Amino acid sequence: MTDLDYLKLSKPKKLLYRMGAFFKAIPKKTGHFFANLGKKILRFFKGIGAWFAEVFSTFRDGDWKTRLSYLIMGFGSIARGQWGRGVLFLLFQTVFNVYMFFPDASKSGCFYLAKLSTLGTVETQKINRRTVYGDNSFFILLYGVLTLFFIAAFIYTWYQNIRQNRISEQILKSGHKLKTTKEDVTSLMDEQFHKTLLALPTLGVTVFTILPIIFMILVAFTNFDATHQPPGKLFTWVGWDNFRQLLSTDTESYGGTFRQVLLWTLIWAFFATFLNYFLGMMVAIMINKKGIKLKKVWRTILVMTIAIPQFVSLLYVSKMFAQDGLINAYLMKWGWIQSPIPFWTDPMWARFTVILINVWIGIPYLMLIATGILMNIPADLYESARIDGANAFQMYQKITLPYMLFVTGPYLLTSFTGNINNFNVIFLLSGGKPLSMELSGNAGYTDLLITWLYKMTVNDTNYKLAAVIGILVFVVLAVINLITYNLIPSVKNEEDFQ
Amino acid sequence: MKKLLSFLLVAVMMLAMVSFASAEGFSGEIKIWVADAVVDFTKEQVENFKALHPEYADMKVDVSPMGEGDAASKMITDVEGGADIFGFAQDQLARLVAANALEEVAPENIDALKAENDPGSVGAVTMGETIYAYPMTSDNGYFLYYDKSVITDPSTLEGILADCENAGKSFYMEINSGWYQTAFFFGAGCELTFDSNDEGQLVKMNASYASEAGVRALKAMIAVAKSPAFANGSSVSNAANAAAIVDGTWDAAAAKQAFGDNYAACKLPTVDGFQLGGFGGFKMLGVKPQTDDDKLAACDALAAYLTSEAVQLARYNAVGWGPSNLNAQQNEAVQADEALSALAAQLAFCDPQGQYPGEYWSLATALGDDILADKLDDADDATLLETLQKFEATCETYLAK
Repeated sequence: MTDLDYLKLSKPKKLLYRMGAFFKAIPKKTGHFFANLGKKILRFFKGIGAWFAEVFSTFRDGDWKTRLSYLIMGFGSIARGQWGRGVLFLLFQTVFNVYMFFPDASKSGCFYLAKLSTLGTVETQKINRRTVYGDNSFFILLYGVLTLFFIAAFIYTWYQNIRQNRISEQILKSGHKLKTTKEDVTSLMDEQFHKTLLALPTLGVTVFTILPIIFMILVAFTNFDATHQPPGKLFTWVGWDNFRQLLSTDTESYGGTFRQVLLWTLIWAFFATFLNYFLGMMVAIMINKKGIKLKKVWRTILVMTIAIPQFVSLLYVSKMFAQDGLINAYLMKWGWIQSPIPFWTDPMWARFTVILINVWIGIPYLMLIATGILMNIPADLYESARIDGANAFQMYQKITLPYMLFVTGPYLLTSFTGNINNFNVIFLLSGGKPLSMELSGNAGYTDLLITWLYKMTVNDTNYKLAAVIGILVFVVLAVINLITYNLIPSVKNEEDFQ
Repeated sequence: MKKLLSFLLVAVMMLAMVSFASAEGFSGEIKIWVADAVVDFTKEQVENFKALHPEYADMKVDVSPMGEGDAASKMITDVEGGADIFGFAQDQLARLVAANALEEVAPENIDALKAENDPGSVGAVTMGETIYAYPMTSDNGYFLYYDKSVITDPSTLEGILADCENAGKSFYMEINSGWYQTAFFFGAGCELTFDSNDEGQLVKMNASYASEAGVRALKAMIAVAKSPAFANGSSVSNAANAAAIVDGTWDAAAAKQAFGDNYAACKLPTVDGFQLGGFGGFKMLGVKPQTDDDKLAACDALAAYLTSEAVQLARYNAVGWGPSNLNAQQNEAVQADEALSALAAQLAFCDPQGQYPGEYWSLATALGDDILADKLDDADDATLLETLQKFEATCETYLAK
């Protein structure tokens, strides 16, 4: 299809065409991906080969200072007068050696590394009435991973130390002088300032974000749960068992419950995002309309829900909707209903109620965002539309909505993601209830994956399955985000409104 | 010769030091977690303990508030960081033992513990043949609080519901809780108990829920839940419109406040012709596993003291917790307590709460939620029986394999 043919299509057809094109491209893209993968793997191994070659040739061609640096890191730098660099290398090597070969053998990196494959074998014992704790699988896993990181960092630094020698030799051979320590420090504040700035954040992200993520991913492959709780008990690797349990097609077990909770999570995220979006926009348009009086008052009333912390308002509202709460009491008093509405006890009502209450707390945010954007739409667009005889709905459809979608596309995406993980609203309103005998693992009908995960960790200490759910939530989010990100107008037609 | 002599001397001295050390007591730090209501009381009693036992006078004891449910969860997730002595209700015992978070009771305290406390509470601290904790109270049961001006006859549930309907008030009972639910099932004559081994594992289930009696109990629950006067809940302070509520002694003060002069308490009513039963429950003090013998001895001594007759009685006087100690139970003040005597009357129809798997409680909530969601309203007997069969079968999967 040519560009011209495409432009002739109607809106829904365009969308269909784009979606078709997306799916049509999948095999081709996959093919590409694997072809690229092959190339990348080849390049990776070539890289490793080159690395060894460089390490070897540096040793062969280098002088004795360089060669000694292979054993004592930083020696070459110190011997050539670059004190600062040399001392840092040496310091790193010392710290690494102390960590790996700590005098107290059961706290050394080597110990953790050696035990990593079994996660500990020494059981906790009783000597008379005294308890002697055995291996602690939790620490073995945690420090084992940390040790692997440390070793990788060591290899990298060791390689840098050798490269440093090679470069220094070359510089000296060409008759130039090496940088002094003082010059190094000045350069870190000048042309290498990015390194100075990024050093701390990189370290922080590695230790506090990447390390825990890898730890949690690894937990998904162990049997870490209530009956394997360190330090009293050991846990160990179980391979893909937990994934099998959660993804089994058997409806009676966790598999059925997982699908049910996942489906509800997606339904919830859809309604919580789009219902809020369109209703919020509508409210903003209504308040913006010429001739509406007391605009500020309406806005203030709506914004009040933001001013009160959700912790307070949600807990309060959840009580209001209880069987003996305000809402039921008044409805019955006025004679509108005979018996209380089962807001929290009936699955469908409970789902409806959480979505409804979420609209109440979500509209004000959208109203604020929409108000700002609406005021930004050039008035001449509307004027010319009016002259052409467009009615209000047409103007909304052709001007307001595209403009809003263009500006708020990324917002919609993040808010969809946020709603899939919307812990607060569900936990404070319904706590995932009602439960049912038809669901396993303590899950309820309004549980999102994230609240189910919380229950598993906090109430049931079932860390292994919780870790699997965590991974699957990531997979779901990644897939949805990658697809929709490429479809939203802000990315597709970047220049439309510029 | 001289060398040998000096060696012997040193050996003797060392022996003396070792034996002296064990009589020396303990001067380190001990951490205690108890419910908020008894923190001050426990602090006082710890001082009394130190006065009575000079060898422990230098011990530092830190008493902090920790809800009984939270205590167990925190102990399980971090034994080493947790308290040395902690209070909990018996439903947590199996979990704690399974996670190695409880030390066995010191052998020298076992005989006294068995002789002085009521048999239900002794059973509640026992897994298999091993005793894991010190019984502290024997009041963790439920009975009926009601408003005399609304409820004319608290002996039948049908009558209570009718009175409530007429007055536009509510009858509260938390039927989606595994704890309150047993009132119906046990009352109708069903059984659900678990046999445990010494490691805290539940190895055998004795259940008769899937029976005629079980269907009768379930039907009674469905009928009660259908009444417009029924409300699901068990906390007086959250019950907005109560004329009667099934609750425990811990809410006695709140109930008195809510019903004022019309406050009354009695055993549970009958429903469909059978008397409601339930659980007799207990609270206890546990000691966590210790890596130091002296500290363990100190913890055992302190826990034994805090659950002794005198302290249990003092605890009743201070905060109203009903004692598990047989002598303390005979005390006049305890006998005269309205709520406690209602509980005592109800306990005659109750089974002491044994060990239950943690998942049982959520399963029971699931069953209760299904009733509240009216899913079983139109079910015939066969369907109800099927539901109960499923309940039993699921319970059976919780057994240790």
